[in-house]
Amino acid sequence: MNRKNSNKSRNPNKPTLAFYFLRALACINKKTSMASYNQRSGTIKRAAYASMALAAGPKRAWSRAVLCRVLWWGSSRLHGFPTRRRPRAFFHRRVRVADPKLREPSKADVLRRLVPGAKAMDLSRLLEETAHYIQYLRAQVLLMQNVVGSVSD
Amino acid sequence: MEPTRSSDAGSGNSGTYTPEIAESIRFEEEIQSLMRENTMHPGLEPPPVGGGGSSFTALLGLPANQAVELLHEPESEESPAVAIASASGGEMWRFRLRDPKALTLPSGCSPTFPSNAALVERAARLSVFATEDSPEAASVPSHSGDRSTKPKAEPADSDSQPICPIPGERPQRPAKRKEADKGNKVKGPAKKTKSAEEGSAKGAEENTSGSGEKLPYVHVRARRGQATDSHSLAERARREKINARMKLLQELVPGCSKISGTALVLDEIINHVQSLQRQVEVLSMRLAAVNPRIDFSGLDSFLSAECGRVTVGDGRCGGGMEQSAWMEATAVNEGRRQQQQIWHVDSVHPHPTPSVWERVDSPHLFINPGTSLFGYDPSNSVASLHSNQLKTEL
Repeated sequence: MNRKNSNKSRNPNKPTLAFYFLRALACINKKTSMASYNQRSGTIKRAAYASMALAAGPKRAWSRAVLCRVLWWGSSRLHGFPTRRRPRAFFHRRVRVADPKLREPSKADVLRRLVPGAKAMDLSRLLEETAHYIQYLRAQVLLMQNVVGSVSD
Repeated sequence: MEPTRSSDAGSGNSGTYTPEIAESIRFEEEIQSLMRENTMHPGLEPPPVGGGGSSFTALLGLPANQAVELLHEPESEESPAVAIASASGGEMWRFRLRDPKALTLPSGCSPTFPSNAALVERAARLSVFATEDSPEAASVPSHSGDRSTKPKAEPADSDSQPICPIPGERPQRPAKRKEADKGNKVKGPAKKTKSAEEGSAKGAEENTSGSGEKLPYVHVRARRGQATDSHSLAERARREKINARMKLLQELVPGCSKISGTALVLDEIINHVQSLQRQVEVLSMRLAAVNPRIDFSGLDSFLSAECGRVTVGDGRCGGGMEQSAWMEATAVNEGRRQQQQIWHVDSVHPHPTPSVWERVDSPHLFINPGTSLFGYDPSNSVASLHSNQLKTEL
């Protein structure tokens, strides 16, 4: 069962990613042309992560967390200030460090901080999520590079 | 190239490696015979392996690359046997599946038998092929371990095999093999192994955590010199899982496969993730600078024109139900309808068009491949989601 999970769904769906991202870019371009440069760049970054998470699907924990984060941010902006914590906050669990010989706890913690939604996971699950996250990150970076490259030509 | 390499290795190390290779070959033969389910050959003995290079080259004749792998694996002993043993069980199985005929060694060779324990350890360290566990593979080390319980001085009875019988060692091995085989397939293999382990003076058994796909239980076998209680077994299984995931990650991150050691690999992974996230940020800044110049008009028409068939039906693809359910769960203020449509769109995308990905030249290009692929609700219901988000984020 673990083998099945790790073997399948290894390739991010690039056209889906491109579709979401470009659509987001189009919207940004339309709506926020008067905004400041920094705001726009932040918006584009959020759109990038959102499209990445959308392309990844709900099966990955990090995609759920990213989308929660993005939508929560949007809703908090809408309502003025964040009144409630992130919905996954109360899902925190104590993670046992059962085998310190394998790795120092600090590294796994750093990784947990980096990968969204990976805070309450054991190491094997964390590694799996990191692998998928890296795949989709790489795809997103490639897409953005292509877009920038094509536009700047 | 490979035969020459192996012959070089054989000639150079014939003194030290041929017995081990003999062991491994014999081990493979055991697997093969075991898999044939030869009840007609109760005294089936593995073929003898020549002590010199002659049988070695004969072995080379058949599975050249495989023999090479067998050769090279005994040399490299750095991998922890725990991880390898679990892999080797499946690998042995794979090896048999691939080329059972290749395992047949010429008969009539003088046998050279090092200890069974050494053979089993060698087999444990053979990480030749892709890890593919199977119940039989798990049973193979079991019977080899049981074999080790038999004293080596026992004369070989059976001569009825097509393969040359080996004087010495295992007369009752097939019986034990069957036992172990059945034992492995039944639920309590660990206990069986443990008793065999404790019974043997020098039993080198392998640690194979069987696949969870075929068997309801994870069959983990205690290695020699390690505790056999359930806690350490479970922990060993967990550690193997973690090691397998780490290996996958190493392949994913460039430049990580050379690094050995978990901490350094994790460092590399962390650096890679951080660099990717930084790249996203930098690229988003560049896009923001470039954005006013992008002509998205064509893209807009594409986005709005993709209002073909609305596939609200969740039966469209298996993930549709789940996705729509997920969107229900992550209810946001922007509007559930839009989110559902997003995920329906996602479920509709059947085939990727790599051309779209590479040719991000002009927005017009998207219209052509897109019309055939995408279809979702008309108007800006989906697009407006993003605009809502982004508007509010200003």
